[in-house]
Amino acid sequence: MDVSTKSALLKKNPTYFLWIGVFFLILTLVVGLLYYATQKIDYVWRWYRIPQYFVYYDDVAIRAEIEGTVKRITRKNGDAEVTVADVGVEESYNVPGGEIRVSEGDFIFPGDVLGSFGKWKVGILLQGLWLTLKVSFIAILFGIAIGLFAGLARISKNPALKWSAISYIELIRGSPLLVQIFIWYFVLGTLINTLLRQQGIPLIPPLWFGVAALATFTGAYVAEMVRAGIQSISRGQTEASRSLGMTYFQSMVHVILPQALRRIIPPLAGQFISLIKDSSLLGIIAIRELTKATREVVTTSLQPFELWFVCALLYLVLTFSLSMVLQYVERRTLYQ
Amino acid sequence: MIEVRNVYKTFLLPYKVRALVDISVSIEPGEVVVVIGPSGSGKSTFLRALNRLETPDSGHIWIDGIDVMNPKTDINKVRAEVGMVFQNFNLFPHKTVLENVTLAQVVVRKRSKKEANNTAMALLEKVGIKEKAQVYPDQLSGGQQQRVAIARALAMNPKVMLFDEPTSALDPEMIGEVLDVMKTLAREGMTMVVVTHEMGFAREVADRVIFMDDGAVVETGTPEHFFKNPIHDRTKLFLSQIL
Repeated sequence: MDVSTKSALLKKNPTYFLWIGVFFLILTLVVGLLYYATQKIDYVWRWYRIPQYFVYYDDVAIRAEIEGTVKRITRKNGDAEVTVADVGVEESYNVPGGEIRVSEGDFIFPGDVLGSFGKWKVGILLQGLWLTLKVSFIAILFGIAIGLFAGLARISKNPALKWSAISYIELIRGSPLLVQIFIWYFVLGTLINTLLRQQGIPLIPPLWFGVAALATFTGAYVAEMVRAGIQSISRGQTEASRSLGMTYFQSMVHVILPQALRRIIPPLAGQFISLIKDSSLLGIIAIRELTKATREVVTTSLQPFELWFVCALLYLVLTFSLSMVLQYVERRTLYQ
Repeated sequence: MIEVRNVYKTFLLPYKVRALVDISVSIEPGEVVVVIGPSGSGKSTFLRALNRLETPDSGHIWIDGIDVMNPKTDINKVRAEVGMVFQNFNLFPHKTVLENVTLAQVVVRKRSKKEANNTAMALLEKVGIKEKAQVYPDQLSGGQQQRVAIARALAMNPKVMLFDEPTSALDPEMIGEVLDVMKTLAREGMTMVVVTHEMGFAREVADRVIFMDDGAVVETGTPEHFFKNPIHDRTKLFLSQIL
């Protein structure tokens, strides 16, 4: 908003800035109340313990695997190499950083620490966040593909296609996602993996059953949006493209779908945001996404307040970014 | 060029309407035929039946010797040879003017992008709108949009052009520019079937005028015959109401 529109707005509605003030007053009030409430309860806030669940500095010990004496220690560019030798065997261990705990001639048993080095490691919350992002992203891609196909089948004149699509949509939309995840993992997953095991083919990890559950679930909603989007494009567009000699498929790809998809970006954004949040249910089938990761940390650290707030904030980061990306896409595809 | 014999069409929804009743028309190459009649008389249905946007219930239609009504006929091939211009333009809003004119050339006629662009620019120049090639249809006036729609249809090098009330959705001051383009086409020898309420155009350009009412052809003849001494009472009544 530039200055001239702002002043014009002010002239038209002199209380405009007053109401902005009211908004911030309410915001401060709510936050203040929340703070007051947390001060009143018997809870010790330990925010300083949260960062370690994102990244932490860990000491990695390098241990001997054989029995023998330390034959030689060579240093190079700050790193060190410890050579342990016994009759007929000799092994070398590289210690980055060169922090050695033994000296030449020491007698070593298997499992003895030769040296150690510090290393930054990714914490469990960040791992969970990454897994949530990965599962959601793959599920969104498959969800779009399934939804596009099912949506087109839904408006097809072929009864086999049409009724299959209706059955799929109604079945999926009408049953709880939690139950669908159970079915995908415990019923279909067991069936498929048992068959694979009998054939000697590597098993499919739970992650993919989780992705399948989310993608089919989202696909059903996307299908209805695609159908509504296509039907909202005027018949004249189809007639014009068909009258030029385009086939049904060509007309869909070049004329109808580009317009329909653009129109359904806002509801799609809502659906995908839902999907990111629904991925929190995947914890029940041993996928350690953000929510399950948080639950695990809470049981060990006993800091539920901080951790659940952080968890919610991380979901907000994901959903808000997605929302922004889709708004950008919507603006970019504006034809003018 | 176009041969229509004993065509019937009845709409059942939303209520039963006999849209075409025993229509038989023969149109020669290069002929300009104007179809007039009151609204609901079946003019548009007749026009849309020619490229099977509406499928008649019975009868025969041949275009350039191809049986349009035969289900085995590749209707897309027929439609590529029959250009159509709509009342509401129906330009593709997500494509620029140039893309509107090149799309079907590339997709249907399999022309190269460059060839399609050249054809498109030549046609846009012909309809007098070359400088708007890169803008989107929303930024054009109705008359300009309709001229782009004509260029889009012409880009397929059609043998026949069908016009479905091309000026009915236009502001009065824009009708002329569209009619001028159509007159040029007619002079160049294009076979044209035009559904319109523009009696001036009919009188000036048409080789033949067909008057339809209640789904049937009531009267047909040259513009002089038609506007000077029509035979049927229904025709006289219609002309008295609009002239």
